[in-house]
Amino acid sequence: MESMNCLQCQEWLVPFIDNQIEDSAIFNEIAFHLQDCADCRNQLEIERRTIDVVRALLVRTCCEKAPTTLQERIAHQLHLIQLQQMAGYAQTEIITQYRRTEITIDGQTQIEIETSHEIRRDFPLE
Amino acid sequence: MAKKESERKESERKELSKVSNSGAGELVRVDREKESAAERAKRFEKDALQYMNQLYAAALRYTRDPDDAQDLVQDTYAKAYTSFHQFEPGTNLKAWLYRVLTTTFINTYRKDQRRPQTSDNEVEDWQLAEAASHTSDQGKSAEDVALENLPDSDIKRALLEIPEEFRIAVYLADVEGFSYKEVAEIVGVPTGTVMSRLHRGRKQLREKLTEYARDLGYVKGGS
Repeated sequence: MESMNCLQCQEWLVPFIDNQIEDSAIFNEIAFHLQDCADCRNQLEIERRTIDVVRALLVRTCCEKAPTTLQERIAHQLHLIQLQQMAGYAQTEIITQYRRTEITIDGQTQIEIETSHEIRRDFPLE
Repeated sequence: MAKKESERKESERKELSKVSNSGAGELVRVDREKESAAERAKRFEKDALQYMNQLYAAALRYTRDPDDAQDLVQDTYAKAYTSFHQFEPGTNLKAWLYRVLTTTFINTYRKDQRRPQTSDNEVEDWQLAEAASHTSDQGKSAEDVALENLPDSDIKRALLEIPEEFRIAVYLADVEGFSYKEVAEIVGVPTGTVMSRLHRGRKQLREKLTEYARDLGYVKGGS
């Protein structure tokens, strides 16, 4: 394998910073190139700091707690679903299909009735 | 949306007795075939409800509206609960809940559904890594300090202003710490697309935040 050049290295910098390179050969190539290349090391640090700053801001900000009303709503809903399940609804997937033929007394008219009934587990939330 | 019955049965057979990691770290075997509804309910309450705050914070970013966010989280838990038998014990429950949240959002809550999806050339754009977009080292540190002083409201605003796909990718990776692969599974796109969205999302966020900092006089000079 040819050793990595700066352009190739920079393509991999972000996944490298994010620690998301699974291919150890590529990872080693990048590490090897960084050892030798001050420009790419510099670029790495700038990129890393940019990512870290934004991430720290997001983590600091996005930490709202679920309102108690929501906790109550969820508890209530789960309870309802449990009751439904205990009553046999939505507990298993029920699919019924049947067909019957009815003929009028005089034998002249024939109708076919086809019924299919389906209750899935996700019902009624789909 | 629901899996075909045969597929579902097949996967249930395969996953019959997987090992689940319970809170205290000891391993508990969960036989989902024999587990009663009450036992499953208990397992759900013990394992899944602890993520409510996180899911709510994510839902706020997804929906951009506190009422919708509450509805979304409630729907997510209802769906997760009714399909909890499909969750493979021992795998990542948090990621699974986020997938339920994200699919529920995409299917029902997305406000501007008619908006065209991000173009296909996302990945190619990503490949053209823009080098040399950064200037001097020292200037950056001053800017970093300015950004750190921004009020939370500005950070939330910036996040809400970037495109939905970017916002979700950045949120999942940077706030929740999911790997590229996990984000790809949660959102249902290839890993390359995740990388592209994450890269562009972070870049746009950074630009917006710098702009706000400049408006507040935290950062000197024009662009």
